[in-house]
Amino acid sequence: MVVLAASVLTKTGKVLVSRQFVDMPRIRIEGLLAAFPKLVGTGKQHTYVETENVRYVYQPIEALYIILVTNKQSNILEDLDTLRLLAKVVPEYAPSLDEEGIGEMAFEIIFAFDECLSLGNKENLTVAQVRQYCEMESHEEKLHKLVLQSKMNEAKDVMKRKATEIEKSKIEKGKFQTGAYSSISGPRRSESGFGDINISSSGSGFGSGSGFGLNTESIDSFSSKSKDRPAASAKAPPKGLGMQLGKKTQKTNQFLESLKAEGEVIIEDVQPSAVQSKSVLPPTDPITVTIEEKLNIIVEKNGALRNFDLQGTLSLQILNQDDGFIQLQIENRDMPGLSFKTHPNINKDLFNREQIIGLKDPNRPFPTGQNDVGLMKWRIQKMDESSLPLTVNCWPSVSGNETYVNIEYEASDLFDLQNVVISVPLPALRDAPTVNQIDGEWRYDARNSSLEWSILLIDHSNRSGSMEFVVPPADQSAFFPISIKFAASSTYSDVKVAGINSLKGATVPKYSQRVQLITDSYQVV
Amino acid sequence: MEKPCTLLVHFDKGTPAMANEIKEALEGSDVAAKVDAMKRAIMLLLNGETLPQLFITIVRYVLPSEDHTVQKLLLIYLEIIDKTDARGRVLPEMILICQNLLNNLQHANEYIRGVTLRFLCRISEPEILEPLIPSVLTNLEHRHPFIRRNALLAISSIYRLPNGEQLLPDAPELVEKALGSEQDASARRNAFLMLCNCSQDRAVAYLLSNADRVPEWPDLLQMAVVDLIRKVCRANRPDKGRHIKIIISLLNSPSTAVVYECAGALVSLSSAPTAVRAAANTYCQLLSSQSDNNVRLIILDRLNELRKSHREVMSEVVMDVLRALSSPNPDVRRKVLDIVLDLVSTKNVDEVVLFLKKEVVKTQAAGESDKDAGGEYRQMLVQAIHACTIKFPEVAGSVVHVLMDFLGDSNVASAIDVVIFVREIIETNPKLRVSMIQRLIDTFYQIRAARVCSCALWILGEYSLSLSEVEAAISTIKQCLGELPFYSATEDAEPTTDSTKQPHAVSSATTSSRRPVVLADGTYATQSAASETAGVAPSVLPGSLSSIPNLRSLILSGDFFLAAVVASTLTKLVLRLEEVQPAQAETNKACSAALLVMVSMLQFGQSGFAPHPIDDDSYDRIVLCVRLLCNTGDEVRKVWLESCRQSFAKMLAEKQFRETEELRAKAQISHAQPDDLIDFYHLKSRKGMSQLELEDEVHDDLKRATGEFTKDADDASRLNRILQLTGFSDPVYAEAYVTVHHYDIVLDVTIINRTKETLQNLCLELATMGDLKLVDRPQNYTLAPESSRQIKANIKVSSTETGVIFGNIVYETSNVMERNVVVLNDIHIDIMDYISPATCADVTFRNMWAEFEWENKVAVSTVIQDEKEFLEHIIKSTNMKCLTPPSALEGDCGFLAANLYAKSVFGEDALVNISVEKQADGKLSGYIRIRSKTQGIALSLGDKITLKQKGGDH
Repeated sequence: MVVLAASVLTKTGKVLVSRQFVDMPRIRIEGLLAAFPKLVGTGKQHTYVETENVRYVYQPIEALYIILVTNKQSNILEDLDTLRLLAKVVPEYAPSLDEEGIGEMAFEIIFAFDECLSLGNKENLTVAQVRQYCEMESHEEKLHKLVLQSKMNEAKDVMKRKATEIEKSKIEKGKFQTGAYSSISGPRRSESGFGDINISSSGSGFGSGSGFGLNTESIDSFSSKSKDRPAASAKAPPKGLGMQLGKKTQKTNQFLESLKAEGEVIIEDVQPSAVQSKSVLPPTDPITVTIEEKLNIIVEKNGALRNFDLQGTLSLQILNQDDGFIQLQIENRDMPGLSFKTHPNINKDLFNREQIIGLKDPNRPFPTGQNDVGLMKWRIQKMDESSLPLTVNCWPSVSGNETYVNIEYEASDLFDLQNVVISVPLPALRDAPTVNQIDGEWRYDARNSSLEWSILLIDHSNRSGSMEFVVPPADQSAFFPISIKFAASSTYSDVKVAGINSLKGATVPKYSQRVQLITDSYQVV
Repeated sequence: MEKPCTLLVHFDKGTPAMANEIKEALEGSDVAAKVDAMKRAIMLLLNGETLPQLFITIVRYVLPSEDHTVQKLLLIYLEIIDKTDARGRVLPEMILICQNLLNNLQHANEYIRGVTLRFLCRISEPEILEPLIPSVLTNLEHRHPFIRRNALLAISSIYRLPNGEQLLPDAPELVEKALGSEQDASARRNAFLMLCNCSQDRAVAYLLSNADRVPEWPDLLQMAVVDLIRKVCRANRPDKGRHIKIIISLLNSPSTAVVYECAGALVSLSSAPTAVRAAANTYCQLLSSQSDNNVRLIILDRLNELRKSHREVMSEVVMDVLRALSSPNPDVRRKVLDIVLDLVSTKNVDEVVLFLKKEVVKTQAAGESDKDAGGEYRQMLVQAIHACTIKFPEVAGSVVHVLMDFLGDSNVASAIDVVIFVREIIETNPKLRVSMIQRLIDTFYQIRAARVCSCALWILGEYSLSLSEVEAAISTIKQCLGELPFYSATEDAEPTTDSTKQPHAVSSATTSSRRPVVLADGTYATQSAASETAGVAPSVLPGSLSSIPNLRSLILSGDFFLAAVVASTLTKLVLRLEEVQPAQAETNKACSAALLVMVSMLQFGQSGFAPHPIDDDSYDRIVLCVRLLCNTGDEVRKVWLESCRQSFAKMLAEKQFRETEELRAKAQISHAQPDDLIDFYHLKSRKGMSQLELEDEVHDDLKRATGEFTKDADDASRLNRILQLTGFSDPVYAEAYVTVHHYDIVLDVTIINRTKETLQNLCLELATMGDLKLVDRPQNYTLAPESSRQIKANIKVSSTETGVIFGNIVYETSNVMERNVVVLNDIHIDIMDYISPATCADVTFRNMWAEFEWENKVAVSTVIQDEKEFLEHIIKSTNMKCLTPPSALEGDCGFLAANLYAKSVFGEDALVNISVEKQADGKLSGYIRIRSKTQGIALSLGDKITLKQKGGDH
């Protein structure tokens, strides 16, 4: 009472999918299935065929046969039931009941067959149940994941706390370096000791540094409260405190939320920590200036500029508090429509006069820590087409049964563009489009049904380029909006930090600046 | 046994899928790309690539994936890769997957667990399974039924492995415990099946302790119970009664599948009439309650099996079976009639015939709506009644009159059946003669078909004996011929006034193409299309025909064969009249009237008004009749009035004789030879005997179906199949041993390195011609000096055709870095391996002959002098069956015609017609014609015959 195999064949006898439930050599099953089309008579009102050794029970659906191969002693009533189930299941999975549709979803169909017939024994299932089994949505797994996640969050909390402690100890170390005096009270000391353990266990480069800090601490135990407090209040303690307070409630919260709903809440929790863990990685220079311009462009098909919006930011990251007493000398290109806005704490006068960014209160340092602190913003508007860094032209043309799409780009010589990705939406396709010619590389994203044309670098050697691909006939509008992404290492405004003045008169700390122009959204509609 | 194949997926060779591309996608983090790459990898593997480099990539990058689809595909991948090396040891890297499987078995997702457990069922390497067993067992107690079901399956299949008892020593106890507390139907079934397979005693104990509750069990479990009982009762007879009780209680199960299975089990358990009767009744109930044709047909098959072994019981349920005739499906009806006809006995024949008669009347009432189906069905019924009456002539009286109403049936085939039936009854049943002749005379004018007409005329001529009958017959014929002459001068002038004549002329003119047909006795005849159109014509013009007598319209349409029949019938009647009519004047009158009819027919035939002129045969025949009537004699009278009937009686007798002969032959086959070995199942030694011999027929059936169980031919004939592929002096010697199975050819090639060097990358490359396909890709081997190797090549055959396999052996030697090639002898695959003698009815043969498109005509050229010897020779060399009965081949007349038939394993038909004539110089000449639906058979068979027909030298 076992089904030997469940198969899907085309009417012409091509085997599309076959799942065997009993051990048999390949030649045997292929032979059986090859013999089937010859045995099927036409004009018969029954749907089974018997040969000397096996019985085929089949059901034609459109261009296909769904077949159960059984032995002749098999129970026909059961087999027919099973066959009916399969005939309902196959259209559930196959997008179309023909060779292509089955070929596309062959494995999904095999999975479904496995559920319908557990090792050849009939299962009393409905289509909905088969679906459910194949989707494998498990409540238990979700719960399990949530528990894991909450555990991870907990661990991250600990990590964050440790990180702040490390920073604290570093600051202390820094103070020592700059000759400040500090005293450490009992509990503080134990805390830093804890941090130290953590550091050495993490085995990162800090280990030795803070080890040194510990040593100095034990020697030098003077500390002015006034100095220590603002620094502490500037960053770490509130954070650490929040974490510590939240610790208990958060844990219960996690459970509540996990019971309530999906993992989105958790993802929010994950992201900041992920960012942090990332930003921990490059503590290269004591001062980092980031200058970034983001483009928001909408260009019409005919090339007319509908919207051009550029937003620039200058932000500063200072690792050590002692380096916080600085001013930045800015220079920029003179452009029409360029206007700067500075942070309220910045001395506007100074900036307007000498293009120097400094705090209103020269006795206060710039905030320090791992986060970028925005100091200045600017906007550029009302640009014309000629100033676009990259223009893209898309020409779909229908020819016979196919649509040829020609795309070309032209880059202005102001910028060298990196990681250019031009993604063209495509009408729903079965196969990847045929690309006739391309400068660069392409990739077909079947999920989003788009063609991604990527060019690693556009410089003077390839200021313009083109590609051509062929798809089945489609409306012209199907290929829009095209979205474009790129990055460049120079900006429109050309804002730069020309130099840094130290207010404390000490040596100017080393600084680095990152300048980039990126697209926020650039669309051809 | 070869490596089992668990799945097939169509692989489009057009899509390029490079191994490194797949590797890249697998290494990436994009889940969709990963899924896609896994699919492609699996397809490549199925297509015969080995992709060994992918394994590590998969272990590193795919194993840790969280995605469920990836995990499932991974299981499929693991299912199909080779897990052992050439010597059957598990590859060391397989340890890497064990951890992953273990994780999956403890996965939080119940479906991942379940799917992994199911995957374990397909694993047979104990090394892989061993570390997983504790986890499998813990899953037995998982609260999700999906996991428990699959865990039970896994335990069952692990336990059944060759060393399964060592892996899972306490499995039966655990499963039994689980079964006791299990609630899920499917899991219970799996547990029960596991016990059935692994520990029957426990299963039986469980069953018997729960015997009362079995009817409430879910149907899946009930099925397993029936299966178990069938198995157990073969070995363990004493408590059979208890088992049968359970089965009987299950006969009332709400699930029809269980009921069906129970009936089957009952029959196999007991041959007691009660049990068989219960089974037969169950089948009959199912037959009437199930509307699905498949089910009905298969149930009828079961009933047919019962019929063979338990006739008496079955004849009791004949009427129940007959009720299935209400199904509109012709296949079902045919099967029902087949079964019933064989079971008809003196007890039930009246009932059966009455039922059949009712059905016949019903078809008439059904009317014109489903004319074709109704006609076909009526024909089947008529044949059935015919068969009944041959067996039990006494019932003929009650049906023959009803049937004679159908002589005028518009369905020619059923009308012919009726008239043949009448002809036979009137000869075998002299009591009915008078009433039948009367009836025939009454209904004669309704007959529309030429063939029916001629047969009816013959009956009239032969069996009208008394004066009144003869006179009535003559007048009926005359009436049906209408006014003489057949055409007049007015028709000469205005031929268009005759509304019927014109269309006939046109239709026969357009269709008077002549096409050859094969007659029942194998003669190859040319039939004029006119007679065919004549048969069709009446239905074309029913309105106008009602006014014109039937014989007249048929003759006017140009059927001169019928005219000849009319002439001879009249002659016969007149001769008879001379005997019974005392008044000479009346006789003379009748004689001259008959002569007038004949002459007008001749005149019509030779005038230009007939659609085509009269053929010579009919002309001669009519002229002969005229001449006879003009001067009669005793000799002639004897021939015409007596010999004719005698030869008919002889024909009937011979038919009957042949049938009884066949029956007797059949009966003889079923008996065992006196010196046959008798197997006592219970005395069979359990030790040292293969598992196969101990299995019951259900298992045998399964094994045959999977191809594991093939009968070995005797070794002597196997040795004939060895083919030498290369010469003895070639550096590589190869010979193949060809086994032809149904759908495949296996070449066992032995390759011997005859040099003193190591041959590297030795590869057996094969190519095929015809409908053959290589299944596996060739592999490369390294062959040490003077060593040998066995290579197996599988070739798939998909139709009956002579195929050729070419090949060569390619290798490299270490010092010469170029490929060497040894070309192999061609291997010819003989069509004879694929066709087997078969029989089919005359009519089907002729239908197929007309239908098939491919004909191959081979001129006879042979040294054989005797026609019959030649026929024997052809039959022997083509492995076909002669359909022409031996009586038709008797005698020595210098020519011979016969039909041969065979069927291929693929269900294709091969038809052969032989027509030979002995020439004056003693040589045979003629043609052998082969027809088939496909070109392959016609050509291959033709080649075969051309090759073999010479004869003599063998």
